[in-house]
Amino acid sequence: MSYLPLAFVIGLACLVPVLLFGLQRLLAPRRPNVAKLETYECGAPIIGSPHQRQPVKFYIVAVLFLLFDIETVFLFPWSVLYRRLGVFGLVEMGVFLAVLVFGLVYVWRKGALEWE
Amino acid sequence: MPALDLERVRGLVGDDFVADRSSHGDHAYVVRPAGVRRILTALRDDPVLQFDMLMDLTAADRSLLPPKDRTERYEVIYNLYSLWNGWRLRLLAPVPESDPTLPSVHDLWKAANWAEREVWDMYGIRFAGHPNLKRILCHHEFVGHPLRKDYDRTRGQWCSELETLEDELEMAHTAERLRAHESGADPAESGIGERMILNIGPSHPVTHGTLRVLVELEGEIIKTAIPEIGYLHRGFEKCAEKGSWNNVIPYASRLNYVSALANDVAYVKAVEKLAGIEVPDRCKYIRVIVTELARIMDHCVCNGANIVDLGALTNFWYLFSAREKIYTIVEKLTGIRLTTAYTRVGGLSHDLYDGFADECRAMLKEIVPFVTDVIKLVKKNRIFMERTVGIGAITSEQAISYGWTGPCLRATGVPLDARKRDGYYFYDTFDFDVPVGENGDSYDRIMVRFEEIFQSIRIIEQALDKLPGGPVNTDNNKFFLPPKQELYRDIEPLMNHFMIVMFGTPVPAGETYDSFEVTNGELGFYLISDGKGKPYRLRVRPPCFYIYQAYTSMIENGMLADMAAILGSLNIVAGELDR
Amino acid sequence: MTRPAGGDGAPFLTTKLEGAIDWARKNSLFPIPFGTACCAIEFMGVVGPSFDISRFGAEVVRFSPRQADLMIVAGTIVYKMAPVLRKVYAQMADPKWVISMGVCASSGGFYDDYCTLQGIDQIIPVDIYVPGCPPTPDLFLDGLLKLQQKIDLDRRLRLA
Repeated sequence: MSYLPLAFVIGLACLVPVLLFGLQRLLAPRRPNVAKLETYECGAPIIGSPHQRQPVKFYIVAVLFLLFDIETVFLFPWSVLYRRLGVFGLVEMGVFLAVLVFGLVYVWRKGALEWE
Repeated sequence: MPALDLERVRGLVGDDFVADRSSHGDHAYVVRPAGVRRILTALRDDPVLQFDMLMDLTAADRSLLPPKDRTERYEVIYNLYSLWNGWRLRLLAPVPESDPTLPSVHDLWKAANWAEREVWDMYGIRFAGHPNLKRILCHHEFVGHPLRKDYDRTRGQWCSELETLEDELEMAHTAERLRAHESGADPAESGIGERMILNIGPSHPVTHGTLRVLVELEGEIIKTAIPEIGYLHRGFEKCAEKGSWNNVIPYASRLNYVSALANDVAYVKAVEKLAGIEVPDRCKYIRVIVTELARIMDHCVCNGANIVDLGALTNFWYLFSAREKIYTIVEKLTGIRLTTAYTRVGGLSHDLYDGFADECRAMLKEIVPFVTDVIKLVKKNRIFMERTVGIGAITSEQAISYGWTGPCLRATGVPLDARKRDGYYFYDTFDFDVPVGENGDSYDRIMVRFEEIFQSIRIIEQALDKLPGGPVNTDNNKFFLPPKQELYRDIEPLMNHFMIVMFGTPVPAGETYDSFEVTNGELGFYLISDGKGKPYRLRVRPPCFYIYQAYTSMIENGMLADMAAILGSLNIVAGELDR
Repeated sequence: MTRPAGGDGAPFLTTKLEGAIDWARKNSLFPIPFGTACCAIEFMGVVGPSFDISRFGAEVVRFSPRQADLMIVAGTIVYKMAPVLRKVYAQMADPKWVISMGVCASSGGFYDDYCTLQGIDQIIPVDIYVPGCPPTPDLFLDGLLKLQQKIDLDRRLRLA
C-alpha cells in the first residue's frame, strides 16, 4: 500500500501555511497602533466585555453540528471503498447511520433544534 | 370627500384661538401654547374629525419676518392629518424666546417623540414631559442650535468621540425592571447583567452605512435596542436658506438619492403651490413619468438590497440590471444617472428628447422579465418565507401612530396613497391599483413594492399615451426664466430675467405645506417665504424619519438576524432620514 | 505616469521582487466601501455587472477593516461620522490606500455648513480623489486604475 500520495498531501499541508506566513513575516509592513489592536465595533467605543457567560444554547448548537459533521466525515471513506466493502459495509454503515438518525430524531423531538 | 368642518375645529380650539393663518387652500390656526395639548388631544379623539395622524411636528424661527416687534420668536407647527377623511390641519403655537417650552405630545402620537427631539436639536425649544430630550441629528458635542437665524451656517464643530449611549441603555433597563416589577416577575431572573452589548454601528453593511443600533443580546435574541441617527445630517434645511428657490433643487435630489427625480418634482410642486404658478399639462405628464421611473428604480434597489441581506445574491444582480436600463434612459434625458436636478420652479430644465416615448416603452418591456423572474424566485421560496413572513409585523394602529406612510403603511392594510387621495397631476385619470398588504410584516412590504413596480409601469405607459404637445414651462416669466430670444427684443423679459437671476425667484411672502407621494410615502414640504427670493424656512417632512422610529420596537425580542430583514424592508434612505 | 528611473545601482533582484509584490497588491485590492450617501449607490453600480469592478480584481468587498486594504469613502462624511471614519481607517491593516469618491468626500461638496466635514483629507490621508456628484462608474474605475499606477510607483510602502 503506497503511502506516498499521503506523504505529499501532508507535506503540502505543512508547506503552504509556512510559505504564506513566512512571506508575510518577510514582506508585509508592520505598523501596530492603539486603534488597530482594539476590537472592531464599527468605530464606536466599546461597552462591556465579550468575556461573559454566553447562553448555553450556543453550546448545544455547536455540539450538534460537530456530531453530525463528524458523521459526514466518516461517510466519505465508505463512498470511496463502496465496492470493496460490499454488503458488509452496507450493513455496518446502516447500523452506524441508524444510531445517529435515532439520535437526531431524539434531539428534534426534544426541541433542541429550536432556538427558544 | 366632504370638506373639513371648520366650525367644529374652531369649537374644539375654543378660547386658545389666536389667529387664522389659512392660505393657499390650507387650514392653519395659531393657538396659544398653553392649550396645545388639550386641543391636540381633542382633535385626535373627536369621532368626526379623527385627526389620528401627526404628519409633522416642526418649528420655525420667525425673528427676521415682519412684524419687527414680535414677542414670540419661535413657532412650533403641528401638521395633522385625518387619515380616513383626507383632511389636513395645521396648528401653530408661538413660543417666546425667554421661555421656549411646550408640553410634549409624545404620548398622543408616537411620531412626536423624535420630531420633538429634532426641534430641540435645531431650535432649542424644550418639550416638557419628553422622556429623552437629546440631540438627534447633530452630534452630542455640538453647542448651539443650528437652524436659529443667528447661527452661522458655515460654523462647523468637531466631534471627538461617538456617544456611548449608555445613558439610554440605563433608561431602557430601568423601564424593563419596572415592567418586570409590575408584572410580578422575579428581578433576579431578568439576566440584565449577563447580556452582551453589541454596537451595530454606523459603518456596517446591514445598517446601510449610516444607522447605528446599540443592541443588547441574550444569545441571539435582542432584548434592548437603542437607535442613533444623524450620521448623514448634511444640513439640507440650512443650506436651502442660502440661495434662490431653484438652487435648492440639487439638494432636494439628494434627499432620497435612490429616486432623485421624485424628490425634484415634489419640491417644485410645493414651491409652485406657494407661488401660485400653474405649469402646462405637458410638464405635469412628464413629471408623472419621471416620478414613476424613479419609483421603479427605488423599489428595485430596495428589494434587491433587502434580499441580498437575506443571503440571495442573484436577485440583486437581476434588479440592478433592470435599474441600469432605466439609468440609460434617465441619463439620456437629464444628463446624469443618479442625482438629477431635472425640474425647475415653473417647469423643467428641458423637454423630453425625440424618441423618448419609444425608448421608454421598449425599456419597460425589457425590465418586466427581470422583475417577474425575481418574484418567481422568492415568492413561494421556503427559506425566503421563513425569513420574512411574520418578521417585523406591525399593526396599522401602531403604524398610524408612528406616522407611517407609503408602501410600509399599505403593507399593514391601510390603503392610503396620496396619488389616489389627492389626485394631483392627473393621477385621478390614470387607471392603476394600489397594492395593499395584510399583516404588515417584511414579506408584505417586499411584495407590495414588487407589485407597485408593475403599477408604475402601467402609469408610465398611460402617461406616454396621453402626453400632449405644447410648451413644457410656464409662460409666467415673473417666476420662470424667459426664453433667451425674447431677452434681446423686449424690455420686460429682460427685467424678469434680471430679477430672477439677481434676486432669486420672487415667490411671494406666505407659507404653505404641500405633500407628494414619493417612494417611501409622503414627502412634505413646509415652506415659509419672505418674498425676498430665498427660502426663509424650508422644512422637509421625510417619510423615512417617521418610519424608522418604529424600528427598535420591531426588532426587540426578535433574533439578531432578523434585524437585517426588517431594516431592508423599510427602505430607510439616510439622505432622507437625516437630511 | 511613467516609471521613474530606479536609481543607479538598484539591485535587480529586489526591484523585480518589489515589482512582483506591487503587481500582486494592485490587482487584488480588497475594498472596504465606507459608503454613506449617493456615491455608495453608484459604487453598487460599479460592482454590478455593467461596470464590473471584478475585471480589475477588486470585487471582494469586505466590510471589516481587518480584511481590506482599500477604503473607498463614498458619500458625505459629517462631523458626527468623522470619529468612526478615523477609527475604521486606523483599524485597517497596512498597506492601505484610500479613494475619496465624490466631491462630498473630497471637499465637502456643496454642503458648506455646520455639520459636514469639508473633505476627508482633514482626518485621513487620501491617495486618489475622484470628483463627481456622483462620479459615473467609468470615472470611478479610472480612479481605480490611477490607484493601481500609484501603487506601482509609490516607494512609501516598500518592504516593511
